[in-house]
Amino acid sequence: MIYLILILFLLVLIIGSAIYAVVQRDLLYAVIATGVISLVLTAVFYILQAPDVALTEAAIGVALTTIIFIITIRNTVRYESDNDKKNKIKKL
Amino acid sequence: MIYIIYIALGFMILGLFFASFRFIKGPTAGDRMVALDTLTTILVAGLVVLAYIFQRFIYLDVALVYAVLGFIGVIVIARYLEGAL
Repeated sequence: MIYLILILFLLVLIIGSAIYAVVQRDLLYAVIATGVISLVLTAVFYILQAPDVALTEAAIGVALTTIIFIITIRNTVRYESDNDKKNKIKKL
Repeated sequence: MIYIIYIALGFMILGLFFASFRFIKGPTAGDRMVALDTLTTILVAGLVVLAYIFQRFIYLDVALVYAVLGFIGVIVIARYLEGAL
């Protein structure tokens, strides 16, 4: 019973974080949401009896993805503007 | 004896719920970063408890790796918020 509650809560947290990362206009918040997805996915792999996959996901998802995305945000812009979308619509 | 472990797992689910609530609602970036760090800590403790329940000693390595690497991710985000990356 407690396993069912745990797995259901983790899956709901994965889906909620993914929707949040797509909808959010601030890209830093989206990167933090990606970190939450990777974190919870590690726990799900772990519960499904695959510790080697969980180990790889932990190494790549936390260290590599977060650092590369943060460096990318530092070199570009943090806030996603919607001017490009409007211009494309006007041009079409 | 095993019921104490299940009660601990229930309290960890409660902590995960409140930390994820702060992650979704938190007004500033610092709140969300600290919520991510709290989620990492609680989930690492949960992985250790699950390793005891499954009775597999090798499962503790995953918790060890995640405890080391989650720290690095939070440090990188904090350095970016400080403006000194």
